[in-house]
Amino acid sequence: MTKRYVMLADITRCINCKACVVACRAEWETPLGHSRDWVKEVELSTADGFPVVQLFPGRCQHCDDVPCVEACPSGAAWKRADGIVLVDDALCSGCELCVPACPYEARWLNPQTNTISKCTFCQPRVDEGLPPACVQTCVGGALRFGDANDPDSEVSRLLGDKPWLQLTTAEVPGGTRHYYHTGGAPLPNEVLPRPVGQHVQAALLGNVVNPAAGIGIGGMVAAFVGAGVKKIIDRRNALAGGKENTHE
Amino acid sequence: MKKTPFEPARRAFLGGAAGVATLGIAGLPSTALARIDAPHAAERLKPTSEVFGFCDMCYWRCGLKIRVRDGRAVKIDGNPEHPNNYGVVCAKGNAGLMAAYDPDRLKFPMLRVGARGEGKWARITWDEALDRVADGLNKIKQNYGAEALAMIGHGTWEKPYHRLAHAFGTPNTTSPVFGLCCGPRGIGSMVVTGREISGNETVDLQNCKYVLMLGRNIVESLHNGEAKAWVEGVSRGAKVVYADPRFTITASKAHEWLPIRPLTDHAFLLALIHVVIEESLYDREFVREYTTGLEELRARVARYTPEWAEGETEIPAITIRRIAREMAERAPAVLVYSPRRLTRTTNDLGTGMAIATLNSLFGVWDRNGGIFAPQGFPIPEPDLPAYPHARVPRADGAGVLGQWPLAHPVFGLTNQMWKAMAEQKPYPIRGLITAGGNGFANSTDYDTIRRALNNLDFYVAADIAPTEMNAYADILLPEASYLERYDDLQTGGAREGYVAIRMPAMAPLHDTRDAWSICKGIADRIGLGDYFPHDSVADLIDDRLKKAGLSRAELEQKGIVKIPADPAKNFAREHGGRSVFPTPSGKVEFIPGALRQLGMLDALDYEPQVRPDAGEFHFTFGRIGFHTHARTQNNPWLAEFMVENVLWIHPDAAAERGIEDGARVRVTDRKGRSEELAAKVTQRIRRDTVFMVHGFGHFDARMTTANGRGAADSNLASADQDRRLGTVSMGRALVRVEKA
Repeated sequence: MTKRYVMLADITRCINCKACVVACRAEWETPLGHSRDWVKEVELSTADGFPVVQLFPGRCQHCDDVPCVEACPSGAAWKRADGIVLVDDALCSGCELCVPACPYEARWLNPQTNTISKCTFCQPRVDEGLPPACVQTCVGGALRFGDANDPDSEVSRLLGDKPWLQLTTAEVPGGTRHYYHTGGAPLPNEVLPRPVGQHVQAALLGNVVNPAAGIGIGGMVAAFVGAGVKKIIDRRNALAGGKENTHE
Repeated sequence: MKKTPFEPARRAFLGGAAGVATLGIAGLPSTALARIDAPHAAERLKPTSEVFGFCDMCYWRCGLKIRVRDGRAVKIDGNPEHPNNYGVVCAKGNAGLMAAYDPDRLKFPMLRVGARGEGKWARITWDEALDRVADGLNKIKQNYGAEALAMIGHGTWEKPYHRLAHAFGTPNTTSPVFGLCCGPRGIGSMVVTGREISGNETVDLQNCKYVLMLGRNIVESLHNGEAKAWVEGVSRGAKVVYADPRFTITASKAHEWLPIRPLTDHAFLLALIHVVIEESLYDREFVREYTTGLEELRARVARYTPEWAEGETEIPAITIRRIAREMAERAPAVLVYSPRRLTRTTNDLGTGMAIATLNSLFGVWDRNGGIFAPQGFPIPEPDLPAYPHARVPRADGAGVLGQWPLAHPVFGLTNQMWKAMAEQKPYPIRGLITAGGNGFANSTDYDTIRRALNNLDFYVAADIAPTEMNAYADILLPEASYLERYDDLQTGGAREGYVAIRMPAMAPLHDTRDAWSICKGIADRIGLGDYFPHDSVADLIDDRLKKAGLSRAELEQKGIVKIPADPAKNFAREHGGRSVFPTPSGKVEFIPGALRQLGMLDALDYEPQVRPDAGEFHFTFGRIGFHTHARTQNNPWLAEFMVENVLWIHPDAAAERGIEDGARVRVTDRKGRSEELAAKVTQRIRRDTVFMVHGFGHFDARMTTANGRGAADSNLASADQDRRLGTVSMGRALVRVEKA
């Protein structure tokens, strides 16, 4: 049976230690100033003014309806059958159209590689039977990962044992593969996705890429994608030359 | 970034005009731009090899597996077998790579060429450095005697420096862990029960039903195994009552936050003891069989009523009674949880004893959910010549009758040692070896540290990184980090006993050397080579393991060898066994005989501390999960989360001063010392208290990330002392805050 990978975050166990962030940085050699994952500390208070702190581990939510894949002109963004959403470096032109398309602000341009980076659920590790780096390192045991289609998996048991929420709204209703247990508390606005339009490509191309010139959307697409194509070809030549970036 | 190899045959579209044409300029497709459907190859992991080790970023020393590629450490993982962490690693541990790759690291032996502390250095060779160290130490011995050399350490690597200093003949070796941190809680437990509190606490948090925490911010003052167990215990339904002037992350997970007045924990505990005895809530069987002094204790705590304690602590009397009853209902699976750093008041000994007493009244010893008896894994030390006897007592008075007889005679009292060095009393101390550590950051009086350092004829500092303290050295010896060396064995235990190994993940970077070869190099030059008979520390551990019937090869398979948990030993009284209390009477002594002998029974009584005047605040400091000590602020991966600390201040107090969230403020103590930083206006703290995270406010330009960032709590905290232990008392500072 096809796997259905899910990430579970029990926020009552998260202690904001940031182990997940540093483990991810080390695992994927992420340059400083960016991160594939994060923990958001939300400070609230009760009606009587009593403090509340909620901690939300965040990352790409590996959405079902993948707005990033929709937005990507080159086919670099793709979703595997098991649900993991990935970036094919060889195809990524660095055009960044997918970046604003993501309701969770999970994607960013890696300045060292000029391709898009984001959480991949540690796909190279998972494919070898290892847990994601964040899950393995998590001190509080807040993060768990596995195949929800396997009834004997830890995640299947946890999904059945307590209530889990997804970060969705009326405007961003699409399902995700990332679930949160809040101990009954509602999700704060700070962690909810921001709405992005369905035809974000058109809006962006119109407003962001070339607002003033009237060459028409088609023309802009061609010019933009043409530039992207050139970028892809150039990068392929560089790849063929065997260059690589490391973080030292 | 990992790259998949480019295989042109797979990429069909861009080869031909047909592919480009599908994009078209005739208009967008209905839902999205056309995409090129081509099969994708998934990224693969690059191969690595693996060695085992244990972490040095903090004191907990989690077991590690370090992945290596092309001769360099690339990722730090946890060792799933190690009882300290069972596979998890925190942000600090993961960032250990950047401690090794820190561009600001000490890279070469250096010789001071300007004035002491001026910051002018010349690079020298190891031979010259070690020759100069030998010369400096010999002169100290000739001119003043061996006792004129002090050695101050901090961390796993200090063991060879201790050996060197003892072989040299000085009694004056010290590590801050006792005098600045854990001393009072350990002695408090020791004099009441005869049992120490290990640096790796042996508490059955996973099965505990009620945890009463006295400011132990367990998920931010982060020791991984301890926090992991606590989170598990909470998830299994343990009730947590957390007393702290500040609403920490630990508070956010507690069932009750008691915003206790600073410095009044002893009052709270005495009132709880009062209720437990008055209402007969204690474990009668345990108390009858295993304790002495109940009636004398009853008389002593008669005046410490909950109503009295409410006045001291601002915890309502009704709450105090309720907590006592709730704990009694769930005893013995309850814990009164000690702070780790119990160096706050002039009577921390009293607080430490009250914690041990209350735990004893609830009968938690050697019961499920309570305090268990650890197993160790003793490995014989190598055969060495006998150490010479020092001619004089320790300069810090630790363990010395008439001075600080209760203080640990090996760890010593680092605060008192600095004072001895500053005042050159009781005798001159003119030589210093430091192994890591930073007196400016871990102590609370810059002036004393400076005077002490400026009194020195000779100071050699070994470390991996620059610090404000080692800036004063004559010779800087750059050490290989814990990722770059073998080291002595790690032994210890909780339920399981263990011996673990530290293996190098890579060769020493730059021109660094491991601590053992450094100390052997010095010892050989000053006629003490017999104390370092092994050519390398790898040979040392081979020697020790052989004596224990083990081998290094065996240890290197999983990084650790363990004695399995034995519930009959760990939780004796659950399995028909007995608790053991190695006091003079063989029982828990509610009125400690050791204190009676020393005339210190008044430590059982409450000593009111200081209160702020109008316009003043209690000054508090503490930890956050991704920084520790004063070591991590220069680590770029950790500075990413917080490069400057901020001052926590209540909105009412801030409004009175016109301070908005994020505004710069100046904090000034009664001695006129002051620090500046940004304010965090938050209801998560008492109105009469301010707080900042420890370890910032660095002032050494060699630390290119941390220099000048944030404020130094160590320049505001108090330098008082516990009246009977001689440990430092850091919690008594009172400060003013104003817009900067």
